[in-house]
Amino acid sequence: MKYFAGIDIGSTAIKITIIDENKEMVGHRISGSGSMFYNYAHQTLNDLLKDLNISKEEVLYTVATGYGRKLFKEADENISEITANAIGAVAAAKEFGAIKTIINIGGQDSKAISLDEMGNVVNFAMNDRCAAGTGKFLDACAMNLEIGVEELGERHFNSKGTPLSINSTCAVFAESEIIGLLGNSHSVEDIVSGVHYSIAKRIVKLVKRVGIKEGIYFDGGPALNGGLVNAIENELGKKIFIPTYPQVTTSFGAAILGVDSYNYQSVGV
Amino acid sequence: MHEHKIETPNEKQNRHKAMESVNVLNTLKEGFKTPPKAMDYFYNLFEDVYCNQKALHKDKVKVGTMCIQIPSEIIYALDGVPIRLCNGFYTDDEIGSDFLPQKACPLVKASVGHLSSKNLTDKPDMIYSPTTCDQKTKAGTLIASFGYEVVDVDFPRTKESEISREFFRRSIREFSADLSQKMGKKLSRKNLKASISKIGYAQSLYHQISEFRKNKIVPILGNDIFLVTNAFFFDKIDNWIEATEKLVEELEQRVKDEVNAAGKISPRIVYTGSPPIFPNYKIPLIIEDSDGIIVADETCSSNRMFNDRVAVDEWFVNDMIDSLADKYLKACTCPVFSKNDDRIRRIVELVRSHNADGVIYQAFAGCTVYELEQRSVLEAMEREGISILYIESDYSPSQHGQLSTRVEAFIESLKIKNRNKK
Repeated sequence: MKYFAGIDIGSTAIKITIIDENKEMVGHRISGSGSMFYNYAHQTLNDLLKDLNISKEEVLYTVATGYGRKLFKEADENISEITANAIGAVAAAKEFGAIKTIINIGGQDSKAISLDEMGNVVNFAMNDRCAAGTGKFLDACAMNLEIGVEELGERHFNSKGTPLSINSTCAVFAESEIIGLLGNSHSVEDIVSGVHYSIAKRIVKLVKRVGIKEGIYFDGGPALNGGLVNAIENELGKKIFIPTYPQVTTSFGAAILGVDSYNYQSVGV
Repeated sequence: MHEHKIETPNEKQNRHKAMESVNVLNTLKEGFKTPPKAMDYFYNLFEDVYCNQKALHKDKVKVGTMCIQIPSEIIYALDGVPIRLCNGFYTDDEIGSDFLPQKACPLVKASVGHLSSKNLTDKPDMIYSPTTCDQKTKAGTLIASFGYEVVDVDFPRTKESEISREFFRRSIREFSADLSQKMGKKLSRKNLKASISKIGYAQSLYHQISEFRKNKIVPILGNDIFLVTNAFFFDKIDNWIEATEKLVEELEQRVKDEVNAAGKISPRIVYTGSPPIFPNYKIPLIIEDSDGIIVADETCSSNRMFNDRVAVDEWFVNDMIDSLADKYLKACTCPVFSKNDDRIRRIVELVRSHNADGVIYQAFAGCTVYELEQRSVLEAMEREGISILYIESDYSPSQHGQLSTRVEAFIESLKIKNRNKK
């Protein structure tokens, strides 16, 4: 069998997707980036192949992407996470229809990508050098509230009052605001929905920079947080599509590109 | 995953405004020393109106006013309810940005944005728009294009001359006739005199509070006072009077009990410039959060509404109307006028009478007249030996850090000056 690997080395997690020559997903795995990107990436790939019962030789082409892509020297090719994200999103959203706008929230950045009818990237915008409105911001908030990140969604929907504004978009200053709100015995639920709306507002500003086009796709780990999805949909006033595996869209895209590159090279030979 | 409906634009606007409101109200309730009990009425009022969309004047004819120069006395005499449409929400400012230049005044943008959304709990049945500054003047026409009935009220740009006095008297006579016709009711000696005395009484309550703020121990935050005077924009006047009477009583007791709303060495600040309108208390909150205490202000959302009483010579309808016109023109210290020495005199007088340590002058970025008048006020304060800080800001929640650093540094410098004096 012929297999292709996409490896997305992000700031917070390493995501690997294996696909077959028909570009169908065979399996994926996510692990923390930790302190040794390179070693963890190899280990994660080995573990995944073992689980799927695939030998290294069967993987014909590997594409690396993400911040740490250049560190994975064994890759046959490396591409930017923006291109990979776009390719992956178009493929993952087949059932949803054409997508024109991608919102991606990663561990340390957030992006808005605008696509044309063919699925090509026409424009994109990224957050400034700052963790505001990223996964790290959510992590920090959850930690201050002494709840798990996975609980944020449920808490959001249990909020009864007005969402409490978090004025500081800086993750560090927001922390002291949250502590202040807790100190005045405001409910965790209202703080959580406030945090989600503060991220959502930033994200919507980012999306506006590239233009909001119908067919909106949201990926990255925070897309698993239903509360944040709710906040972004309300701020946009539009429905958005969340893929089944929002964390691996980009590695999926990298693997798809691997199939195309492999076929192109074979023809060339 | 939860199934949820997406908010409508109005629902989203309401949520944004509720978030802005709760943020400020919580800060007032929790961020400082315990506020007077009587403030609860005002906290609840703002929460009802801006978080729960409660309409206050369902069965009444609501007369919207775009600026301070429309005499409320006449509206009340004709059984209308004046609603001042000057708006302080960043949410509405962003909506208004679709209609006005980016550099326009946030207050005007917010007022336009609010009206464009048609999402008003006490929707005005008609709007009177005095031709004060350029932006408000043009906003009137824009608002009319949204389908509101807007009537311009001519307003002169000078106030010294006899021509301008007569001009505005005619303007107010015209306004009275127009409103009278729309309301199907005539102004009479009785109804006009009654409303003049009622507003006069409200003004006297404000003056009593001002007296308490002259005290060495200041019993209430300037931010709370802004909330009280701001409520006068839209509240049922009888309720407002009753709540403010209670506040006066409590403040009197607080002065006796030496309850200090400020710190022990908090510098005393006179606030002037573009009006803080709920929930845009950005600069006032920074001042009091930086250990300053606002003891008086010279703004059109507070002091300027209450400072000067109507001086009536003869209690005949025409005479009362002319006296009202005089009050709303002559006593006005708005920077739209060519010469505005009155404003400088008022600030100096407030600094002296309230024993203030300094003045903070805020101009909204885009509020051209306040920006223009900055120079003459700063020079005058320097001549008088009064410390002053000039700040430009807008409605956006950003730049909080930079602004608070500047205000803190100014307040610290006042503290050091006070120490060196002793």
